[in-house]
Amino acid sequence: MFIDKFVASIQSVAAELGQAAIFLTLFSTLWAIFSLYIGLRGRKPNFIKSGRNAVVATFILISIATGALIFSFVTDDFSMKYVVEVSSAAQPFLYKITALWGRMSGSLLFWLWLLTVGGAIVVWQNRKATENLADYALIPIAVVQLFFVVVVTGWIEGVYNPLDRFPNGEVMVDGQGMNPLLQTPSMAFHPPTLYIGWISLTIPFAYAVAALLSGRIGSDWIHRSRRWMLFSWIVLTIGITLGGNWAYRELGWGGYWAWDPVENASFMPWLLGTAYLHSVMIQEKRNMLKLWNILLITLAFQFTLLGTFITRSGVITSVHAFAQSDIGWYFMGFIIISTAGVIALVVYRWQRLKSANRLESLLSRESAFVLNNWLFVGLTLIILWGTLWPIISEAIQQEKAAVPEAFFNQVVIIPGLLLLFLTGAGPIISWKKITPNNFQRMFKSPLFSGLIGGVIAWIFLSFRARSQAIEASVEAAKVTTPNLLTQVWDFVTFSGQPMPIYSAICVFASVFVLVAIFSEFYRGAKLRAKRQATSFLSGLGLLIQRNKRRYGGYIVHIGIVILYIGIMGSKGYFLLENGKLKLGESMDVGDYQFTMKDSFLEEHDNFIQSGVEFEVRRNGGKPKTMRPSRNYYYTTGQGEQDTIESAIRHNGVNDLYIALGPLPTKPVVGANMLMPIKIDTETVVSLQIYHNPLISVVWIGVAVMVIGGLVAIAEKSTLTPQSQTV
Amino acid sequence: MQQRRLKVFAASLILLSGFVILVLAMTKKESMRELTPARLLANAETMDNQNVQLVGAISEESTTWDADEFKLTFAVRELEDAETGFNRTETVNVIYNKLKPDNFIDGGNVFVEGTYDAKQNVIVANKVTTKCASKYEEAESAKTTDSSY
Repeated sequence: MFIDKFVASIQSVAAELGQAAIFLTLFSTLWAIFSLYIGLRGRKPNFIKSGRNAVVATFILISIATGALIFSFVTDDFSMKYVVEVSSAAQPFLYKITALWGRMSGSLLFWLWLLTVGGAIVVWQNRKATENLADYALIPIAVVQLFFVVVVTGWIEGVYNPLDRFPNGEVMVDGQGMNPLLQTPSMAFHPPTLYIGWISLTIPFAYAVAALLSGRIGSDWIHRSRRWMLFSWIVLTIGITLGGNWAYRELGWGGYWAWDPVENASFMPWLLGTAYLHSVMIQEKRNMLKLWNILLITLAFQFTLLGTFITRSGVITSVHAFAQSDIGWYFMGFIIISTAGVIALVVYRWQRLKSANRLESLLSRESAFVLNNWLFVGLTLIILWGTLWPIISEAIQQEKAAVPEAFFNQVVIIPGLLLLFLTGAGPIISWKKITPNNFQRMFKSPLFSGLIGGVIAWIFLSFRARSQAIEASVEAAKVTTPNLLTQVWDFVTFSGQPMPIYSAICVFASVFVLVAIFSEFYRGAKLRAKRQATSFLSGLGLLIQRNKRRYGGYIVHIGIVILYIGIMGSKGYFLLENGKLKLGESMDVGDYQFTMKDSFLEEHDNFIQSGVEFEVRRNGGKPKTMRPSRNYYYTTGQGEQDTIESAIRHNGVNDLYIALGPLPTKPVVGANMLMPIKIDTETVVSLQIYHNPLISVVWIGVAVMVIGGLVAIAEKSTLTPQSQTV
Repeated sequence: MQQRRLKVFAASLILLSGFVILVLAMTKKESMRELTPARLLANAETMDNQNVQLVGAISEESTTWDADEFKLTFAVRELEDAETGFNRTETVNVIYNKLKPDNFIDGGNVFVEGTYDAKQNVIVANKVTTKCASKYEEAESAKTTDSSY
């Protein structure tokens, strides 16, 4: 009783307290900008200190507001508009917390909170700093915070404050609940991971602006921003993959990437961030690409905001629907103004941004890095082009048009394969200029091994395609296995279906990269072991420990190869069979026999699960069980809805995947839902069965990339006296 | 040195132009008009046998699932809040030979990619996508006073 009263009394003030905190941050962010600017311009330490304190105060105030909203979710405060829209009393505890970012208003507050955490960390990291680059960086951070504070306050039409209550003291009986599709662990973590990745990009961008503001355009800002960038890259890699994994597990279409505008919006900053992680090395080693690095990090940051414009403005049609309001245009306005600000600063600092050195040869590591950057930026622009094609086409032809998934799949292949090749060539080519000796020593074996791998893959896959075609029909074989000339022509013109030639090149490049990278590890470890008079393995450990950044990067490259192989297998060679079965009946897919043995109906906290049990055998071997189903939710807030719950069985690195079609149901009188009926022997169940080869290799590749990233981030940045120079 | 740089520049320009031309050619080849049902019907003749992306809402009580044929059929109508002034009663039929996607509910937003047959007023779809969470974003919370949970 006491606890109830206590909770009720806090509930009665929590939202108001949170709202007051949000409004106060308008002043704290403005004060931070003003005070830091005055302090840094006039060399007034007290103002600088006050500015730093204001950044910390913003963090505390937004933490109070976010805490108030979480408290309202946990205690089911249905007097609050946002709580009612994304939560319900029956919603499991985890999803009451994740409801914080379940819709636009809350997600913007969450975004702002993460931004304030970033600001507070920068203050903390530099509490003992003797120079003031970080203080300069706090100015753009506070500006971005101010923009988000304005957005969260609810002053923009169509976006309300997440801490708003219903007018006239109304209290709802219950909430609508979160979309059932979002009530999964991977979707609980996918959005916040992406947010963290995007928001942490603000910090390296802020350091770039700080370099321009302060005029210290040496390597200092690069050193400070590199680990933030790497952190952001790791988190974005995880976030993007979690989204793909969620789509694969939950949506029942057997795939994980569809080039949807929102997927593209998360992928483009990742591409630019990856380019930046490479190009900073050129600035560090050769004092080149200063301007390019500033532009890259600016673009990467602006692309995180562009994602919001794409999703919220309503100009692009996406599978990810969000409430559309004017907010997208506010984001576009902020992108334009902040980019113009950076350009103005670049013009102001033009003389200091000139490179001290030039490329000496096209065949050098610098050139490989530059080409790598061009490819990353080129890929980003192609994806941007396809994503914004509805806007572009409307402007050109006065008619909206869109490009399908096939467009993206076809246009990214060649730059993608070139990038894969560079993953191996970059680390082994010498700086300044390749010498015949360097080529002989470093390239010969990887190229030779790659060629052997590529030719074997070409023969194997061509033979496989031909036998499959012959199996299907002798006539079809003539059509589906064109001669080499046709295949080359199709390849050059991007025509036709995925063919062995792409796969063969992918295998060639993959083998080349693996041999190149492993040789680097082998040579380094052997040398280290000899010098330290220790074993090869200890030498390998020492090698990585002494140069975490370099060898962490190489591990990432190995992960990239694994990822490519996984994408090649799962996208190019999957099998799909549609079927309709009654209990006791069987169907074959590839080497597998699927028998529908039984059905089940299970009641859970907020849904009923109806499904069937399959016995699966490979060529009559040992039976395995798979249980695909559909979930029928009690509290969806939108009436009758069920979700596909695919059954996935890992068989080595390949997956078997079953998704069920509509199952028998009956409406429930007075309740806005469908009640499933247990499947009996007369029920025909429609289903799709996929055999997805190498799909686990995709997840393994990403895991290796993340491990490599973690190794690389473990190396602390050290500032050399030279790096401090302007 | 200067001449070598010029050669490199020219080679890069040729390669870049080649790639840009390929991207533009692919865009032209794959691009499909994005239309609402009423606009598609208004341009039925020109859109016959063309690839199209249809954007609209799933027409109420139009969905049927034929398990024997593995065929989902439904009609797409204009979105409720369309500001185009088109007649909302106009619909386009869709045939889809795959499983019904999640979030596929009457009145829900949908976009369909496929080939339009003007004579039959039907799109044979190769992709049907529903918008995730759209209803949540559009729902008016006050309506939940009528609690039926």
